Amino acid sequence: MEGGKILSQTKVLTGLETRQAVEAAFEEALRTAGVSKNNVGRIVVTGVGKQEFPFEHVEVSEVKADARGVIFLFPAARTVIDVGAEEGRGIKCSAEGKVVDFTLNEKCAAGTGSFTEAMARALEVPVEKLGGLSRQSTQAIPMNAQCAVFAESEVVSLLHAKTAKPDIARAVHEAIASRISSMVRKIGVEKEVLLIGGLAKNAGFVDALKTDLGLEVFVPQEPEFVGALGAALIAEGES
Amino acid sequence: MPKYKTEPLKCWQKAKEIRANYYRDYAQAKEKGGLRWCGGAWSFGAIPAGLGDDVYPLTGEPYAASIAWDKEFSTQCLEAVERKGFARDLCSYMRNYWGSILLNRYVFGGPFPKPDFVWQDHICCSHAKWYQVASELEGGIPMFCIDVACGPYSEINQNKLDYVVGQMHDGIEWLEKITQRKYDDEKLIAAVKDECRSTSLWAEVCLLNKAIPAPLDEKSMFSLYVLGTLMKHSPVVADFYAEMRDEVKDRVARGIAAVPDERCRLMSDTQPPWGFLKVFRYLEEFGALSIGSLYTFGLIGMWEDQPDGSWGPKKTPQEKGMEIKDRDTALRVLAEWNLAKPEWQHFYSPRHKSEMMIRIAKEWKVNGIMLHYNRGCEGLTLGIAENRLDLVKAGFPVMTFEGNMGDEREFDVEMVSSRIDAFLENLNLKKL
Amino acid sequence: MFDTFRRWSKERHSYAKEWKQRTGGKVLGYFCTYVPEEILYAAEVLPVRILGSHEPSDLTEPHIFGGMFCPFSRDCLAQGLKGRYDYLDGLMIAQSCLHIRQTFASWQKHRPVDFSYYLCMPHNVQSPHAEGYLAGELSQFKEAVEEWTGRKIGTNELNSSIETYNKSRRLLNAVYATRKQENPPLTGEEAMEMVVSNQLTDKSEHNRALEELLKGLPERKLNRPTGTRLMLIGSENDDIPFIRMLESLNATVVVDEHCTGTRYFWNEVDSGEDALRAVARRYVQRPPCPTKDWMPRRRIEHTLQLAKNYQVQGALLIQQKFCDPHELDIPAVRSALEGAGIPTLFLEFDVTVPIGPFKTRCEAFLEMLQQEEDLF
Repeated sequence: MEGGKILSQTKVLTGLETRQAVEAAFEEALRTAGVSKNNVGRIVVTGVGKQEFPFEHVEVSEVKADARGVIFLFPAARTVIDVGAEEGRGIKCSAEGKVVDFTLNEKCAAGTGSFTEAMARALEVPVEKLGGLSRQSTQAIPMNAQCAVFAESEVVSLLHAKTAKPDIARAVHEAIASRISSMVRKIGVEKEVLLIGGLAKNAGFVDALKTDLGLEVFVPQEPEFVGALGAALIAEGES
Repeated sequence: MPKYKTEPLKCWQKAKEIRANYYRDYAQAKEKGGLRWCGGAWSFGAIPAGLGDDVYPLTGEPYAASIAWDKEFSTQCLEAVERKGFARDLCSYMRNYWGSILLNRYVFGGPFPKPDFVWQDHICCSHAKWYQVASELEGGIPMFCIDVACGPYSEINQNKLDYVVGQMHDGIEWLEKITQRKYDDEKLIAAVKDECRSTSLWAEVCLLNKAIPAPLDEKSMFSLYVLGTLMKHSPVVADFYAEMRDEVKDRVARGIAAVPDERCRLMSDTQPPWGFLKVFRYLEEFGALSIGSLYTFGLIGMWEDQPDGSWGPKKTPQEKGMEIKDRDTALRVLAEWNLAKPEWQHFYSPRHKSEMMIRIAKEWKVNGIMLHYNRGCEGLTLGIAENRLDLVKAGFPVMTFEGNMGDEREFDVEMVSSRIDAFLENLNLKKL
Repeated sequence: MFDTFRRWSKERHSYAKEWKQRTGGKVLGYFCTYVPEEILYAAEVLPVRILGSHEPSDLTEPHIFGGMFCPFSRDCLAQGLKGRYDYLDGLMIAQSCLHIRQTFASWQKHRPVDFSYYLCMPHNVQSPHAEGYLAGELSQFKEAVEEWTGRKIGTNELNSSIETYNKSRRLLNAVYATRKQENPPLTGEEAMEMVVSNQLTDKSEHNRALEELLKGLPERKLNRPTGTRLMLIGSENDDIPFIRMLESLNATVVVDEHCTGTRYFWNEVDSGEDALRAVARRYVQRPPCPTKDWMPRRRIEHTLQLAKNYQVQGALLIQQKFCDPHELDIPAVRSALEGAGIPTLFLEFDVTVPIGPFKTRCEAFLEMLQQEEDLF
């Protein structure tokens, strides 16, 4: 980032070797931006594994970075929902992008992206197609309220009972949406609601969340980059 | 250059000795013909004291917390209990305690010393049942349990008090029958007075933490308030708290801080995760500390409104010039004293607890609150979500972290640390 | 008749609203079976038990920490938060377990009603002091109800109300007694509808329906084999899809020991001179909730007696997830039943149950029981 403009952004699959992935992403971003390492003024890192970043940097929590990034893109946002592979977060922010309150998922009621990955495998569809599939559903099926593991075995039963795949896909999204809205309600839901993180790209999940909250839910163009954007803005702000 | 001076507590060694003696005395009680009893820390321990000077209790909660500190032994206990068919989400104190019986291991060494009788009171759903099962696991031990769930103290009346006192009288008759000892009312009266004294003194100690910088940090307070949970009716504990109060008073006078870089005062709630008390030390890396909680203040401490409207120590009957001359009066005083316990009020409505928490936060000048959503104790986590809403409404920053006081498998240190990071970052605190 | 019971259960809110309009009376919602309904009914109040709707909900997390408190308590609160009980004039709880107290407290706070009451029902029901203590608490409660309704609850009103409630208990017991037959004339599902609807309606009306039912019941033939005779044991259980699935596997539920079942209606108020004290006695002596089952245990003996009287071949332990009081009893209950030659199956319940995986478990359990029968 320079002068409030994004010069480049990169995404690399983390896998087990976090440090290598982080370095690779950093190198790629520099290359695409045409910037050399020496010309980088300040680095702010956020996200799981942030301590693996090998060069000099400052760390901020995902909560803070998300809030900053969202307000930059969407000044009217007051509730930020971030659903990634292994964590769901709800953040209440002020007009300046400051965190007013936040909440994270608790055990026994978690709703995350990894659940859709597992369900996509069970339904034998690529995970990117899961959202589209659920939109073809013609009926709602309630899934087990509490435990995602039990919900998973329910899906297997539903498949064996020849339940239509779109209906199952929709049930999966509704189950996650229900857990996420439950979590966010703890901090109070205020318009406008922004959804970021990997699961924001799943149209079926977005539909389910809107219905559950009874509110419009906005999704930025590249929802998985918002946290990084927030971190970059914080870096700019402090130099 | 740290902001304040700091010094270790002088009374620390004595506290350790008192605790060590307690657990040794219980184990060795039979060697001199003494009696052993077990029950909750909230039990009316002053009553069995009337059976003689050689009557030694083992209170369940602190014993179970001691097991929880030893993560390896604790896991063995918990797994033994699960093999017996008990659910994982039951009170983790109870499960650690039962495990100790099943494995026949006393956490302080040697086999588990079998008690002569169970003397319990019932405040949460599990309390009486805990010892019903423990008695069965031990092959059947005589058990007496007093029901104290008669509503918040603000609504107490003669009917409610008679119910509790009536059970207490029955309890004494029962004790005489099963121990074949003659009951000594003088010993009861002395024990009641000492209980009032120790619990009032503990409140005095907590009160001193209003000072800035705080002379005590909550992690240290856990190790000291626990003496009250062992035997609040004992003159040893009462005398110790008097000594401790004097020392802490002196620390305040000299501006001695628990945390030399104190710049952020927090308050916690519910039992801490006993196997992970290091999260309290982690706060210090930010210059933050927990100055206490309703749990630390109000489970052993007894409080009342002071003339100036603030919250302070409850005046003992002795201080009020009241004489206790007979058994019935002693029991009535004991019942009423305990029914007013701050940590017993929320069983009837979260409103009572929110009021007290907000009061502590204001009077102790707290900047933020950390709520331990403790899956190990339904009793103290009861209503905590509503407490959270009330605290947020009152304008305090609040963070929650899920965990378990006694089951280390349910505590995720990394997750909690990163939440603390985000919370303190929000309070504009970076690591020192 | 069972269609009527089913309708009353399904349309519980319309029933209550229609009752209000018809009688001009007040409706009070309550949470625990220790609530002394006789006193409310004597003041012409309709007490209705608040139950969940078995729909997953995401409204209760800000109020009740879901990771450790029972699904039933959260499901009940969800009904209140969704406004389904907006017609209630009163709300009440008699203390037993902790979990449901949160439902009462949050409901009182966020959906306040005109009249709400917390009754300190004693836990030490085996103490000789319990009855006197409860009588004192009931006296206070009676006064509060009189003030709220503007109606005096005199001896006649209370005795009349007690008689209606006793009649209901006698009739329900009579229906249950027919299930002792080799081929019970009603299924467990029908019995569940009957008992649940009893907790949601005016007892006078329900009594008439029960009397009508009893006329033809002993001769009623179900066109289905009885199969294995089962018992349901647990806390609250009104899960119709589950019992329907269970009874489709060549089995019939012939009796239960749980608080939406026999524990609700088992014993009557005796005809003591002091009616209020007699009411206290009934609640102190009734089959206990585990929170009140000490010292010693009484519930297990009672459960075994029921199993024996109804010739139960297998028992399902329906455990509401996170419910501590019942979890505390499970090993003892299991051991007692198995010691008496009655195999048990443990199932953990939630707001909704995974019918597929549960069917597998029930099938396997029944096969095991039927296998034993085949050997002899």
